Amino acid sequence: MPKERKIIPTIISAAIFIIMEVAALNMLAKNNELQQIWLARGAHKFMAKTWGMTESIKYYFSLKKQNERLAQENFILSEKLREYLEAGAVLEETRDVQPITGKVRGYEYNSASIVKISNNKQHNYIIIDKGSEDGIGTRSGIITAQGVVGIVDAVSNHYAYALSFRNADVSISARLGNEGAVGPLIWDGHSTNGAILKEIPLQYKFQPGDTVWTSGYSSIFPPDIPLGVAGNSKIVNGATNEIQVTLFQDFTALRYVTIVENKGLEDIESLEAKGAQHKK
Amino acid sequence: MKKSFALAYALLLIGQLLICNYFHFTPYLVLTMLPTMVLCIPSKHDTSVALVVAFVSGLLVDFLAEGVIGLNVTALVPVAFCRKWIIEKVFGEDLFSRGDDFSIKRYGLGKVAMAIILATSLYLIIYIAADGAGIRPFWFNTLRFFGSLVISFVLSICVADLLNPDDRK
Repeated sequence: MPKERKIIPTIISAAIFIIMEVAALNMLAKNNELQQIWLARGAHKFMAKTWGMTESIKYYFSLKKQNERLAQENFILSEKLREYLEAGAVLEETRDVQPITGKVRGYEYNSASIVKISNNKQHNYIIIDKGSEDGIGTRSGIITAQGVVGIVDAVSNHYAYALSFRNADVSISARLGNEGAVGPLIWDGHSTNGAILKEIPLQYKFQPGDTVWTSGYSSIFPPDIPLGVAGNSKIVNGATNEIQVTLFQDFTALRYVTIVENKGLEDIESLEAKGAQHKK
Repeated sequence: MKKSFALAYALLLIGQLLICNYFHFTPYLVLTMLPTMVLCIPSKHDTSVALVVAFVSGLLVDFLAEGVIGLNVTALVPVAFCRKWIIEKVFGEDLFSRGDDFSIKRYGLGKVAMAIILATSLYLIIYIAADGAGIRPFWFNTLRFFGSLVISFVLSICVADLLNPDDRK
């Protein structure tokens, strides 16, 4: 058979194969939750790798600008660190207190750059330039000095795919004020810096302008990261307050982030599993 | 001849349904003859026909026997897609152009066994990976693959002899 006559049936067969395999995978994912997670993770890894490659070429040409920004950021951080050290020394002299670093014990920090971010969807995501070879694992948190950015969902060797905080599926445990009530904080679904703090019992008094912090109960994020300020509130079902929060973090101008990994996460999860088994 | 193949194929499909429903010895073993059944589809039918047959067969087994919907289809469709390539590599490129079918008597047990191992391996790799969904350890999947390959191979030789007997033509 001439080559030209062989090509058309091959293309038709390949097209039928792709359609049928996609249909089969769709059936597999739709009907089985475990396989759905597995396939989604595979797709996320693929996306992270693909976008990482294209974006790394783009970044190569903007290295000079990035270096200038990093140097500036480094300078600001050094200044802040010096201020903290001086303040810590004064506090230790005056009263017996735990050093500030004790609060973040058990967490490991890594710096990373964002290679791709989506901001205009209901399920926004972030791809960062650090992967499993850099010690990044799934369920690590992504933060900046301005708040929480997202949670790592899948990792390849050199890149990681994270669910942005501006994703309808992401909820983080937040605390209202320094000693206030704890509730889940979720994105409000439309604005660039809006969130909703839910399930705050009515007996807790607060003022618009109170700061919202991470609670530290989620085992992903350390406590006391400032997230935003409380705004208006409304009573839901006569039982709890729902508070509008204006986030400190500007998601449209994100480039450099910090990955935070709870080193005790496995221990906590195994304890939870044991607890669940004990209940049964 | 066409009718006898279709009848034998249908009976073997019922056999596969019975195996899936009643022969659960251990989680380490997947007893399947589906890849060999797809491999034995007469060569006068091109890949498109094989793909449709594989899709329908896998779907029937998924709905009537297996618990995980879509698992057999996902694993069997690639076998149908690679069927022509496997046959041409093992039995020679002219088998399809002659409209000939392979049989143990004509091509020998070694070549037929090689084709069956290739098709069954492809099926089992996809099946075991999708069934495990990344939560089963590598050693378990490896053990499951080789155990299933051995037991399915024995069954598949009989299936190949039944579907492609030398005196069919």
